Amino acid sequence: MTDLHAYWLRLVDSGHALLDLMAAGGMVMWALAGLCVIYWTLVFERLWFMHRIFPRWVEAHRQAWEQFDHLSGTWQRSVRTAWLAQAQHRLGGPLRLGKTLVALYPLLGLLGTVSGMIAVFDVLAMSGTGNPRGMAAGVWQATLPTMAGMVLAITGLFSLARLERSARLALEQLADQLRHD
Amino acid sequence: MIRRLAFVLALSLPVFALAANTLSPDQLLERIRSERAAEVSAMAEREKAFLAGRGEQARLLAAARAELNAQKAEAERLKVEFDRQAAQLAEQEKQLAQRVGSFGELFAVVRQSAGDVAGHWQDSLLNVQYPERLARLKALAESRALPSSEDLEGYWMALLEDLAASGRVERVELPVVGGDGRQVTQPVLRVGTFSAFGEGGFLRYDADSGELLAPPRQPAGDSLVKSYLQSGDALAALPIDPSRGSLLAQLQREPGLWDRVQHGGLVGWVILGLGVLGLCLAAWRMIYLSGVSRSIKVQLQDLGTPRDDNPLGRVIGVLGPKPQLADLETLELKLDEAILQETPPLERGQGLLKLFSAVAPLLGLLGTVTGMIVTFQAITQSGGGDSRLMADGISQALVTTVQGLVVAIPLLFLHALLASRSKALVQLLEQQSAGLVALHLSGAPRRD
Repeated sequence: MTDLHAYWLRLVDSGHALLDLMAAGGMVMWALAGLCVIYWTLVFERLWFMHRIFPRWVEAHRQAWEQFDHLSGTWQRSVRTAWLAQAQHRLGGPLRLGKTLVALYPLLGLLGTVSGMIAVFDVLAMSGTGNPRGMAAGVWQATLPTMAGMVLAITGLFSLARLERSARLALEQLADQLRHD
Repeated sequence: MIRRLAFVLALSLPVFALAANTLSPDQLLERIRSERAAEVSAMAEREKAFLAGRGEQARLLAAARAELNAQKAEAERLKVEFDRQAAQLAEQEKQLAQRVGSFGELFAVVRQSAGDVAGHWQDSLLNVQYPERLARLKALAESRALPSSEDLEGYWMALLEDLAASGRVERVELPVVGGDGRQVTQPVLRVGTFSAFGEGGFLRYDADSGELLAPPRQPAGDSLVKSYLQSGDALAALPIDPSRGSLLAQLQREPGLWDRVQHGGLVGWVILGLGVLGLCLAAWRMIYLSGVSRSIKVQLQDLGTPRDDNPLGRVIGVLGPKPQLADLETLELKLDEAILQETPPLERGQGLLKLFSAVAPLLGLLGTVTGMIVTFQAITQSGGGDSRLMADGISQALVTTVQGLVVAIPLLFLHALLASRSKALVQLLEQQSAGLVALHLSGAPRRD
């Protein structure tokens, strides 16, 4: 019971620490957090799709394909092209959004940097160079979003590369399964 | 001989001429005699006068000598008096030093501490409540006379008063200068020496005028104050200014959003204009593409009857009324031609959008660099010993960079969305249309 209580207190503490960090980083941190949530939702949705939904789709098309054996080559070719294009669209479409999000992280980090610098220079303009404590808030604002943007971009690049590789493999497998003579 | 005579004559001629002009020698002689007689008589007169005045002069001399002796005696007397008084003064100073004893140090300490405290209280809120305390302190600090016991008691009473008042949260009626410049007496909630709240929220103490001002810009959290004032609970959460008012003063000088936008200048407005243009463009393309994809979806449900209101229908319409499965190859060629005509409208405007999102940060950089150049030029001309001017200029110059990024980020996002949508449609036309038609003609079940 006491262990649980202590654990709960620690959890609340760390939640407050996170909120403090977000507040120190300013508005841009919340924008980054929003993009981060969107991106990782997309990643998990992709994983779910790759492992649950897409195999079913492949199976259904493979069975349909086996019934078309008696038809002409041209016909088969055009149908195969159509299905492969559909598969590519379903596999690769959402990944394009992911790519854009990963490209936006460093830009947002830069935005945080510049707005933080503006805050620092504002304090300098008001109170001269004799107030390093006043500048601290601006320095936090300038550095935290940059760091957060970089961290998100790096993790995003790794996860995106993995997803793209698995999508490419799945598409190649489908192309192998839809053979025509 | 003759020549010499002639020469003498020639020389004496002008002399005669002059004499003839003024006086004859006889007249001259007469005149001199008469003048000499007059002089002799005047001299005799003067001698007589001198002889008469000699007795008088001797009397005056005697009087002056007597006066001098009297003054010398007086000087002697005064010198003796001065010496006596100097000795008395030294005596009395010694006596004073004896009697003051350790009090001398006490008075020095009192003066110094009164000066220090006056400096500390210079911008304290409590000056409004106790208006004459600062003047009293300064008088005590600057007076050369010995402070009276009332002064000393008043001093430590003032210290105690401040100590007690700075720990109190109280409501007092105080004069407040409102935003319109008129002084109104209103109830003020004072929280120690940290903050004061009037009817309109936080109040700021201005040390120069010694008045409470109602600042136009209020920090966040004045709702807490209002609820406390209305409810009158004993305990409530209140925001205070721990810097005793300097944060509030800084807030008044902080530029708002509109000021920031104006700092961006011409380049900033160009960037914002690009952003608005880009947003309009993106919205227009979004609406167009969603309309097209909706109509294509409808067409996909019914491939047998091609309609003219969507690209897919137009592409399939090329095939003619009754296409045969057998001549699919020639059909495909026809399809390709139709597709080539249909793709450009789907991708229109995307290049421009991409251009906007690439140009906006560059423009922001341009604005920042030109702003910095202007700042540094101004500093070069005025000999910038003041880092504040430079900081202010730089912070204004950086605004365009922020604007560029703020415009570029959403435009990039929108461009990505548009590109993926249009690419899906183009792909559907290019790679799927033939297959879909084939599936439809063969009567096989559609799978998508």
